[in-house]
Amino acid sequence: MICCKECLELLHDYIEGELSAEVHASFEDHFEDCPPCIVFLNTYKAAIHMSQTTLKSNDIPDIVKERLKKFIDKNKAE
Amino acid sequence: MGFDPTKDKAIEEQLVKDLQAGKVSSFEQLANLYQKNIYTLSFNLTRNATDSQDVTQEVLLTLFKKGHTFQGKSAFSSWVYRITLNASYMKLRTRKKEPNLSIEDLLPSLNGAGFQQEKLQDWSENTEAAFFDKETRRVIQKAVDLLPDKEKVVFLLRDVEGLSTEKVSEVLEITIPAIKSRLHRARLFLRKKLASYFEDYKTRKERK
Repeated sequence: MICCKECLELLHDYIEGELSAEVHASFEDHFEDCPPCIVFLNTYKAAIHMSQTTLKSNDIPDIVKERLKKFIDKNKAE
Repeated sequence: MGFDPTKDKAIEEQLVKDLQAGKVSSFEQLANLYQKNIYTLSFNLTRNATDSQDVTQEVLLTLFKKGHTFQGKSAFSSWVYRITLNASYMKLRTRKKEPNLSIEDLLPSLNGAGFQQEKLQDWSENTEAAFFDKETRRVIQKAVDLLPDKEKVVFLLRDVEGLSTEKVSEVLEITIPAIKSRLHRARLFLRKKLASYFEDYKTRKERK
């Protein structure tokens, strides 16, 4: 059986589906016997999801949008 | 609405052809297509609206003036991201020397055989309620700000902009294994920062 260290170090490859079938299966075995690693996996995914969603929502403020539009129009005309 | 590198390949190709041929109309379309991606990436790096506006204008101007010189050796969007990163880094002139993130510091404590020894709390189910909390947003932004640049840029391109590992490797001109390990370290770092916030989120809310 793989140990927690191996499991946590390869978590990126696990969630991106980049492990070989054999290694992937040993991950599944490990998770079955290791609640702490499941918790780690859940919180790893949650951290990605939350950070992603928060940063993606940093949209261009309207005032900047307007300025950019003027800027584009000006350059288009030149 | 921004550019979605996974879907908009055909649009991009046509616009780039027009741009290379010197068609003025393609400038406005390209500007509309990319400005959100440029602005957001720059804002997430500089955390400053004025700087990000400057960066966006500079990048758009470069596209407009130098677009016809684009050689097509890499994808056009990779080129746009690269110019955006350079322009953003110019704004962050006083960049601090950064420590290397060691993976050991980001993993839970392990015994000699490589097994976890502490009981971890699963806060992933409490995040729904916390999502719209201003405090949560602030904590997340701060955690990202604290990432060393090397890891931060990979996280922003891969997880926020949604580029593939291969594409990020093209933009940053570093190897795929290096991208993967930087991304993993970035994610572990964010997990650790968010864990300390969420582990007592519920208790804090109940106390209020």
